Amino acid sequence: MRKIYLLALAGLILWLAQGTLARPPQTRLIGQERLVSVEPLPESGGEFCETVAPAGPETLMAALQQRQEGRQAAITARNAATEDRSKLKPVRWIHDPYAAYSSVAVDPMNNEVVLTDENLFQILVYDRTATTPASARLTEPKRIIAGLNTKIEFQCGLYIDPKTGNIYAVNNDTVDTLVIFDRNAKGNVPPTRELYTPHGTFGIAVDEAAEEMFLTLQHDSAMVVFRKYAQKDESPLRLLQGDATGLADPHGIALDTKNGWVFISNHGAVSSRSPRPDARPSRRAAQKQNWPLERAQAVPGSGRNLPPSIIVHGMKAQGNAPPLRVIQGPKTQFNWPTGLAIDEQRGELYVANDMGNSILVFNATDGGDVAPKRVIKGPKTNVANPTGVWVDLKNNELWVANFMNHSATVYPLNASGDVAPLRMIRSGPLNEASLGIGNPHPIAYDSKREQILVPN
Amino acid sequence: MHDIRYDEVHDEFFVVNPFAEAVLAFRAESSGQESPVRIIQGPHVKIGGTRLAVDPVHNEIFVPDATRIRVYPRDANGDVAPIRIIEGPETQLARAESVAVDPVNNILVVGFNKVGDEPDGAIFMFNRTDNGNVKPRAVIRGPKSEIIRINQMAVYPPKKLIVAAMPGIEEMMEPPTAFLGVWTYDDNGEVPPKWKIPIGPKTTLKKPFGVVLNPKNKEVIISDMRLNAVLTFSVPEIF
Repeated sequence: MRKIYLLALAGLILWLAQGTLARPPQTRLIGQERLVSVEPLPESGGEFCETVAPAGPETLMAALQQRQEGRQAAITARNAATEDRSKLKPVRWIHDPYAAYSSVAVDPMNNEVVLTDENLFQILVYDRTATTPASARLTEPKRIIAGLNTKIEFQCGLYIDPKTGNIYAVNNDTVDTLVIFDRNAKGNVPPTRELYTPHGTFGIAVDEAAEEMFLTLQHDSAMVVFRKYAQKDESPLRLLQGDATGLADPHGIALDTKNGWVFISNHGAVSSRSPRPDARPSRRAAQKQNWPLERAQAVPGSGRNLPPSIIVHGMKAQGNAPPLRVIQGPKTQFNWPTGLAIDEQRGELYVANDMGNSILVFNATDGGDVAPKRVIKGPKTNVANPTGVWVDLKNNELWVANFMNHSATVYPLNASGDVAPLRMIRSGPLNEASLGIGNPHPIAYDSKREQILVPN
Repeated sequence: MHDIRYDEVHDEFFVVNPFAEAVLAFRAESSGQESPVRIIQGPHVKIGGTRLAVDPVHNEIFVPDATRIRVYPRDANGDVAPIRIIEGPETQLARAESVAVDPVNNILVVGFNKVGDEPDGAIFMFNRTDNGNVKPRAVIRGPKSEIIRINQMAVYPPKKLIVAAMPGIEEMMEPPTAFLGVWTYDDNGEVPPKWKIPIGPKTTLKKPFGVVLNPKNKEVIISDMRLNAVLTFSVPEIF
């Protein structure tokens, strides 16, 4: 009996050794670890559990048998197909079903207003005079452009061609393409024209006389100027980038063509750039002129946080040119100044002051630490995290895209203080705040408060 | 913001501001326009990455930057040089974007991304205390692994699990290859995920960008970029 035992034991050892040798060299066999019982770590604040040993085998044969089974189970598990959970449904879902307006532009020729939606990835076209009754859940748009063919995603900048009514819409961060649609486009249609832009493009303004298109580049703290009719892989005509320019996480842009000025709003976070031989340019950058130095060319350790600002450059500025003027300081009330618009007739600059929940109005000639001449702010205004503004000179109206309350609001151009809007278009129920989720990258879970942290 | 990590021991959360090359630490209860309690930023810091991991037990912060992993004291403030750097040819670090740390099993997990024509993504594993030009202890990569791009990873020390959000090919708005995958620390080589929550009509996922675990309720929480949503799945079998 003892001989049979020993023979069996030797056989098992040989079998196990063969199993080990037969494995691919890179692969670690993970049999034992899988069979040993695992006690989960204690939850936060709890006491440590005593480790409970797995039920131990009483004999050597039993131990070997268990080891063999464990090894076999591990091999089986290793070779098993991935456990697919394609039928798994979420038990909870945090999602805003309504549009979150991010930018606005008016087509006065056709009496329409166009809004971009960063939540559901749409361009929405409404009658300019539409207003959502207080009792209504929302106003249905006349036309919607949306779907994968449109290449619309996180759209943040908008321009309407005053001659044709064509829609120029800027994608930020995730789709490095400026999309241009015919005025009557609707549904899931491809853009009429595309321009491949640097990564993180945000604002857009067009000089119609010169047929030049100005874009701010958030990620690279730069501004590029393209031909208005540029498409696909065309290079920019000019580049403005460098520490002297005052560009620092630029967002909105507006042109004063009467005076030849370009206004750019900056949130303030920036790093210096320098050509680095070891840094590979992006595919978009390959063999292009006037392309910005990208993140790979950031100078390590040069990052800094500057106060928010609006800088004023000449419209032909390029290279590392310093601004003509800088509006910056505590009197300005800047708090993430984002969308910009110019009233050339009155010489006024409108600022969508995102985190200040306000619209600030300055003289176009202002500089330094200057207070706004008018401020639209307060509970009657319905302004909530405004990110887009548009001046409609034909109808003497100011439009505001409010990112955090599903609304676009309209005011007279001379509005000031806590004033009710003339009209309001809503994409969702009155007083139902937006979730504000936009391009959620990572998340965290605060186990102490049982809260999910969602940066955007 | 490409990463956020909650430190349950010190009740703080950490984010990276990539434009300003800074790591910001906030009180976990922060609200409104509250300032960070600490900022790691400056010429000696040299933060180049956009993501991070926090080890609240050994008080360290890990920041990947393509070819290197920089390690800082958790309570660092100001222009503080890294206390360790994992870099060099032996590390094989090339496109390191995301990182997760397991302070219990002393494992550092690094996610590689595919960009453009570069090779597919990968998961590299190092020892938590590694420093300098060290070899990874394991590398998961290859077609069977299905790894293309990893945006955020979570680890589950009791079962030695790596949970990774894979948004798929960067240039595609809705890549068919996006999924949430789970591997173990013992995986090495061309290993398929042990578990997989794919995109699709049932899961409703389209482009998983972020992932975090809630072991208490045995849940996996996923942020989805194309949905602008946060979805919670009950997956008790992996806990």
